[in-house]
Amino acid sequence: MDTGVDGQVQFDVHRSSLAPAVPAGVVLRALGDLDMAGAPRLRSAVVTEVAAGARLLVLDLTGVDHLDSAGLGVVIGALRRLRAHDGDLRLVCPESRLRRVFEACDLDRILELHADVDAAVAEATVR
Amino acid sequence: MTRRRGRTTSGIELAIPPRPEYLQLVRAVVGAAAGTGPTGRTPPDPGRVADLRLVVSEAVTNAMEAQAAVGAPERILVRCRPEEGRIVVEIVDRGPGFDPDAVPDLPPVTDHERLDHESGLGLSLMDRLADGAVVETGPDGTLVRLTVDHS
Repeated sequence: MDTGVDGQVQFDVHRSSLAPAVPAGVVLRALGDLDMAGAPRLRSAVVTEVAAGARLLVLDLTGVDHLDSAGLGVVIGALRRLRAHDGDLRLVCPESRLRRVFEACDLDRILELHADVDAAVAEATVR
Repeated sequence: MTRRRGRTTSGIELAIPPRPEYLQLVRAVVGAAAGTGPTGRTPPDPGRVADLRLVVSEAVTNAMEAQAAVGAPERILVRCRPEEGRIVVEIVDRGPGFDPDAVPDLPPVTDHERLDHESGLGLSLMDRLADGAVVETGPDGTLVRLTVDHS
């Protein structure tokens, strides 16, 4: 990981496809600090995936060390973008300290937080 | 700011460039400082240190955005001092100030229009997770004083 200074941002996004099980399904795994420094990278990845045809997007926050309102803004924007294309957003967020951030904004009322990618996908494919 | 005489000097002060890549450093330093104090003092709960890191991160993010809006290059000050049973952090920026009463309320989370608002959660998080949040703001900048109790 980078040091966090000298223009380096401690954040990365890894992409994997859920095809063929879920043809338009994509997992974006966020790693590092999802703050004002890291959020633009994730937003850009979400925009790219939706433009490329992703309709089930799983955001895996398991590897996120810090989440704040900048990161929550990306999640809200991702939900809006997916819904605009009749798609769906699923969140993987097993850590209670990150869940607390969602709860403090009442976002847990509109977004279910799953323990792992399998659980998130399982619920999605049942719909 | 002038140092008040007669008060015991404790705690730390950071002056950071108003750039997002310094947020991580602020959180690390404030988190470490929160658990630093006289031997024998009861340290804060880890969960409260996490809350402190989050609310300070929000306040510094707001400070950076405020300064970016007017192109103010000055460093942002972050003062962290331990008090009996609580931690107090002040964030001072040289942004243009704002009217706290004019900050619009977000639509309810279950409203469809709520998804049109990607920003604006920082103040809610500070209100919900800090035990005290005081804002002094004017045309020369803003001071936010956040208090988080040890438990």
